[in-house]
Order: sequence, then C-alpha cells, then structure tokens
Amino acid sequence: RVSSDGKPPKFQPPPKPVIIDRKTQKEEKRFLSPEFIPPRGRTDPLKYYIERKDMIQRRKVFNIPEFYVGHVLAVTTADPCASEKSKRFVGICIQRGGKGLGATFVLRNVIEDQGVEICYELYSPRIQAIEVLKLEKRLDENLMYLRDALPEYSTFDVNMKPVPRMAHEEIPVNKLQVRMKPKPWSKRWERPKYNIKGIKFELPEHKMKAAQKWSQPWLEFDMLREYDTSKIEEKIRKELSEELEK
Amino acid sequence: MMPIWTKSGEKHAVTLLKVQDCHVLRYVSKEESGGKTAKLLVGGKNVSPFSKPESAHEIFKEAGVPRKQKVTTFNVTDDAIIKPGTPLYAAHFRPGQFVDVTAKTIGKGFQGVMKRWGFKGQPASHGQTKTHRRPGAISTNKAAKVYRGKKMPGKMGNIYRTSFGLKVWRINTKHDIIYVNGSVPGHTNCLVKVRDSKLPTYKDCNKNPPFPTFFADGDEELPEDLFDEEIFQFTDPSVKFA
Repeated sequence: RVSSDGKPPKFQPPPKPVIIDRKTQKEEKRFLSPEFIPPRGRTDPLKYYIERKDMIQRRKVFNIPEFYVGHVLAVTTADPCASEKSKRFVGICIQRGGKGLGATFVLRNVIEDQGVEICYELYSPRIQAIEVLKLEKRLDENLMYLRDALPEYSTFDVNMKPVPRMAHEEIPVNKLQVRMKPKPWSKRWERPKYNIKGIKFELPEHKMKAAQKWSQPWLEFDMLREYDTSKIEEKIRKELSEELEK
Repeated sequence: MMPIWTKSGEKHAVTLLKVQDCHVLRYVSKEESGGKTAKLLVGGKNVSPFSKPESAHEIFKEAGVPRKQKVTTFNVTDDAIIKPGTPLYAAHFRPGQFVDVTAKTIGKGFQGVMKRWGFKGQPASHGQTKTHRRPGAISTNKAAKVYRGKKMPGKMGNIYRTSFGLKVWRINTKHDIIYVNGSVPGHTNCLVKVRDSKLPTYKDCNKNPPFPTFFADGDEELPEDLFDEEIFQFTDPSVKFA
C-alpha cells in the first residue's frame, strides 16, 4: 500500500493469536480430590453419597484449591485464644489422609530451628482461607521423611509471596533429592516398603543391598489388592461437575 | 461414622443409622403381656419370606406387611398406641432428643481372659514358665469353691448391649437417616434398636416430639434435613470468633 505522503507505510503489527485453552479445561476437570474416592469396604454406598453432598455444600461456600503433596500452602484458621482471633501457618504439605468429611492434610515448617507439623481438616469450619503459595509436586506421595532430612529442606519463609501459576500448564515435578541427617531415622526409609525416590541415600552399598531383603516383589502382581477406581471416579466427577454448576 | 462440627468449631463423631422399612406389627395390651405397660411389636428390614417356616408368618399376614428380619418389643403407654401396619419413619425422632441404642456386639469368638475381661496377665520374662496370659488364682482357700459368675475365658461378643444417652444431631427425612452422637454397638450394616432414653437426666429433654409417631400423610411437610441448633451447617460461611 502506497501512502499519499510518500513516507514508508506504517507498520501494522500482526493480529494477536487467539489461544484456545483446551488442555486447561481438560486438566481442571481431570483433577479429583482424593478424599472423594470411597475406600474399599462393605459400607452402604448411600453413606458416601450423603457425605459427598455435605462436602459439595462446603465447597460451594468455601474454595478448597487443588493441591498435592509437596505444595507450599498458607492456612488461616479461627482461634479464640489468638489476638485478632485468627492464625496463619505456612508449610509444605507432607501428607494427605482420610476420606470423606474427615479428610486431613499435614503442613510442615521449621520455625526458629523448631520443626512444626500441623494437621488440618479440609472441611473444618474453623479454616478461613487456604492459599497455594508454591505449586510443585514431588517424586513421592508421602514426604514424612522430611522429619529426618536436614532442616533446610523443610524451612519456608512465613511471609512468602505466592508464586504465580504459569499459564495453566502441568504442575511441575520437583526432582529434588533430599539429604538426610545421620542415622537413626524415625523410619527405615531405605526399605523398599516405603518406595521413596526423593532421598539421596549416602549409605554404603552393603546396607542398601541388605535393605532389599525386605522387598516383596509379589505385591504388584497380587490381584486381590487391585482397586480399580476409574469407573467410580468418573461417576463422582460427573456428580461433582453437575452439583458445582448449580 | 462421620465428623460433625458445632457452631463453636468443636468436632463430634456421629454414627448414621438408617430406618429401613419399619412397621408396627401387633399391639399387646397390659393384661395380655402381664407387664406394667402395653407393648407394641415392631419389625424392621424386609427379608424374603422363604427364609423361615410358614408358621412364623402369621404376625406379618395379620398386619399386612412383608416378612421382617427382626421383631422387637417396645413398652408403650396407653396414649401412644399405634395401629398395626403403620410404617415408622426417621422423623419420629427430632434433633436435640436423647436416645438409647441397642444392638448385638461384634462377635469375637472364644477369647482368653486378658481380652475378654481385661486381666493383666503375667510378666513376659523373669522366669515365668508357660504363664503369660493366664488368669492366675480363681478363688481363695477358705471359700473352697469357685463362685458362680467367675470371670473366665469364653465366647466374647455377639450379645445385646446398649449405649445410653446418645444425642440426635440431625435427621434426613428423604433417606430416613438418624445421626446419633458417638459410637453404637455392632458392626456396619447391623440391625439396631433405637429407643427414647431412659436416663433420669434426659427425662424432660423431648421438646414436642411427634406423638405418637410421625405419620407421612402429607399434612406436615418437613424439610429434607432437620438440624440441631448447635450444628454448623455447611451453607454458612466459616466460623469466626468475636
């Protein structure tokens, strides 16, 4: 296009690309909080259905964010004894336990050289806010070994600012290998029963071999232990999405 | 069992009891039964009629009701008599009431004296010869006999036991579920008898319950969930202390 002035044509930037986030929608739908999946047992499924109704009610009023073991969370709870009546605790989530309304998660932090672990109930009415400060999964689902690791791995700044989530991508897995304090530990983490991949074992070779004596290689082939939750999960996801949209 | 939170943030454990096809089967008057009050026979949980002989079917035929797995008696005053054949619902109880729950405890089989009666047993070492979980002495020298009722090993469990004074926190009228405070004897999905509490402290606790029972005629329309005043309902925002 030739302008009438004789100057070079004005630069027209290319049109902005329209990003259709199909992956994020799929991923958000795919996450199902582990406390919704009922355990294997002889209880009437009606009980789990009624419990789920209560859980959904609570989730409508109070936002429980998606989080895994290894995330750094800040939890504000109501406390009659504290000044300003609320307490804030920042820590790394080391364990998520319990099913149904009694679901819990344990946060760990080291404050003034003292390791502190607090177990919170997800559905307790005392909890006023749960913020996810840092999103990062670890190699294991249970980080109890942080108790025997060097304290630097469990210290998190209490006034940490939330790290923004990068464009709804997959949650990054931190392949950190943690260094441990000298033995004795609270549990023998080198044994195959715990199946821990996140520790840098600095033990001699013969001790690691001796620990393999307790391995049970037949367990992965045991068919009675299999609990296939895919169908149950789909039903629950449908139910959840229907109820939360209402 | 489920947790339940009060408005002050305290947690209580709660047992869910489902009222499954309960019908009144027969009315036995005071003179007939020979007791102090009239009795009502109530049956619960439908079961196939082929599991028991025909002779036991008479009660159910008279009341016009399918065969029930369990039949219990309730001592009832004359003004609380109900016609046989009426169904009983969970809405018979109201939140804030106190209740006694009876059931057969979990059967543990033949058990030793330490598990059954809580005896201390003997030390594990320091020269004990083959004696670690035995009862020890069973009587004195002067008695020259063993008293009746001496605690000894035997079959433990599978007997009726009652937990008294349990508070009713919540009632679900749609699915007929009663939320009762604390634990209840018996295994999951076992048959249980729920009765108004006999404890003297809870004599005057029943504030206007449905008397004689809740009739689902359609006159009274109850909401799906009935809560006690102190329960934290999940529709409210989080608890805050002033």
